[in-house]
Amino acid sequence: MTNERHLDPHCESILQEYRDNLPWFKDEAWKVYSRLKETLDKAGLLTAALEYRVKEEDSLAGKLELKGGKYQSLKDITDIIGLRVITFYTDDVDKVASAVERLFEVDWENSVDKRKALEIDSFGYLSLHYVCRIPGSEYKMEIQMRTVLQHAWANMNHDTGYKSGVEVPPRYLRNLSRLAGMLELVDDEFSRIRSELTNYRRQVKSLVASGNLDDVPLDGDTYRSFLEMNPFDALNQRIASVNQAEVHEVSLMPFLTLFKGLGCKTLGDIVNMIRDYSEGAFQIATFQIGLTDLDIVSSSIGPQDLCIAYLLKQGSGKAGIRLMFDTLNGKSESNDMIADLIMEQAKDLPFMNQ
Amino acid sequence: MEVKINKQDDVTTIRLIGRLDTPAAQEVGKELTPLQENANGTIILDCEDLSYISSSGLRIFLSLRKAAAVKGGKVIVKNINDSIRNVFMMTGFLNLFEVE
Repeated sequence: MTNERHLDPHCESILQEYRDNLPWFKDEAWKVYSRLKETLDKAGLLTAALEYRVKEEDSLAGKLELKGGKYQSLKDITDIIGLRVITFYTDDVDKVASAVERLFEVDWENSVDKRKALEIDSFGYLSLHYVCRIPGSEYKMEIQMRTVLQHAWANMNHDTGYKSGVEVPPRYLRNLSRLAGMLELVDDEFSRIRSELTNYRRQVKSLVASGNLDDVPLDGDTYRSFLEMNPFDALNQRIASVNQAEVHEVSLMPFLTLFKGLGCKTLGDIVNMIRDYSEGAFQIATFQIGLTDLDIVSSSIGPQDLCIAYLLKQGSGKAGIRLMFDTLNGKSESNDMIADLIMEQAKDLPFMNQ
Repeated sequence: MEVKINKQDDVTTIRLIGRLDTPAAQEVGKELTPLQENANGTIILDCEDLSYISSSGLRIFLSLRKAAAVKGGKVIVKNINDSIRNVFMMTGFLNLFEVE
């Protein structure tokens, strides 16, 4: 294929340099990719894609044929190794860029922030390209950083604009430009929403930490923060002590729906339930496991028995207990049997007669 | 205590027959340990003929569930009788397993 190209001896020598060093480029590409991936992973930066490639010989030959005179040697070609990082959020592009700057020596003269290069009244390809030195060598590599939407637009634009070989009428170019503007707005909006959510979570954590739980609405985020305070530990330990049992930790997130169903609107409502119904929950657990030799319980035993005690005391009856297990375990006829059993046990529980 | 293991494609059915008390659990645990290595499919614990389960038996179920969770598989507990269902309920493990 490359033999069909008309390369002058200078370009042929560059191509030969490439062939001679290809195994080294492949090794280095893997190394820089791994280094960047490790750094981004450690920083907790979630990327949509992180990929690398070594330029194909045919692609390099084509480049040399077109503008070979521009290059004195292979060291002047900046994209023999190419990496691409695709992020979900625009502000993550800057975080990735910052990581790249720390890891590699950036050639600022050849690096382009196309996000800044655009005119104020035009929209288009927004991307950040850094040319960096391949560590320990004179060769260079290119790292592209962009968001998923920028990537989608760049691909669409590429397919529509260049591949067909037909000149694209202005109205289509205008539509592509409009699309770029819209995607830029969407990108900014995603980042804004994430930023607001992060702030909300910080505020909630701070409220939970300060103990003002009556002011904290009950939702997935607040409940998760609440669980970090191990609110059911004391009850679980008390129940476990009946049989000197081991407490097997499980996720208590499934109880969120149940607590909401029981009318809890704030974290304070759950705290009040723990305060008012722990004794009832303990009595239920003692009645159930006290006469067995079971020496392992799940960490969900506390909240489960707490909800049973609450429902019994509220007079919700068998239907309430059945609904509770339907909520926790999924609807099943067998939950009816459990509800019957608990209603039978309830007759002998001291807290029911207080 | 008897254990019958049947593997079809990525579904392994373990039929437990008898009483899974503490001494039996030691033997059953040994027998099921190799399954933990290949817990990326579905493991069905068929308890139709299981009449009793001890804490040690529960621990075997939990180990299988843990192995399956790590390897992307799942554990389904089938055909448990009322007294075993009651054990799962009063220890708080009922909502941990997919019980059919």
